[in-house]
Amino acid sequence: MAAVPVTCVRLTTSMHNNQIVRKNSTFMIVPMGRIERGFPCLRSSRFQIACAAKPETVTKVCEIVKTQLALSADSEVAPDSKFSALGADSLDTVEIVMTLEEEFGISVEEENSQNITTVQEAADLIEKLVEKKNETA
Amino acid sequence: MATAVPPPTRTEIISLFRSLLRSAREFSDYNIREYTKRRTIDSFRDNKTLSDPSSIAAAFTDGKSQLQVAKRQAVVYSLYAPKVKSIMDIKP
Repeated sequence: MAAVPVTCVRLTTSMHNNQIVRKNSTFMIVPMGRIERGFPCLRSSRFQIACAAKPETVTKVCEIVKTQLALSADSEVAPDSKFSALGADSLDTVEIVMTLEEEFGISVEEENSQNITTVQEAADLIEKLVEKKNETA
Repeated sequence: MATAVPPPTRTEIISLFRSLLRSAREFSDYNIREYTKRRTIDSFRDNKTLSDPSSIAAAFTDGKSQLQVAKRQAVVYSLYAPKVKSIMDIKP
């Protein structure tokens, strides 16, 4: 019974030693300049708005729309731009939805595809369906 | 002249387009898949400017029968699908 607390004390002291050693090493490895640059990268990858889609999804959707409508690479495709404004008719919209289905591995229902008019709506719908797919998988 | 069949609505045409593209995905052969997609897109675009209701209805009926053909053939082709995939299907 007496032996047990002694070993515990020993363990904690050894851990303390390790922690102290580690603190020293971190001070040496990370200079002041690096700390400033480190934070923004962490934030942008984890920062998620609750209702809107992830930026990577929106970018992918924009890319697909540009390829489908044969727009030049530097034409502005904003998240809230309507497909009809970009020169897409209903057939183009169906093709875009098909390409998005294939790209993200989801299946869009009939009624949902009628309601997609902007890039942002498409990205939101994709997010919802990918989530549902990952839940059931 | 037979009694006039009501021309298909916009929604029906769009849903026929979707069904054809979806049935194209079922094919295991890369060439047939691409051909089906290309053919439906081209023919729907060509017929986009039709204004005569009887020709629209005729094109719609034609499309529906093609959809049936595609569905049947997808099943038949899958029965005899080759083991070796086309080079285009293998992503680099």
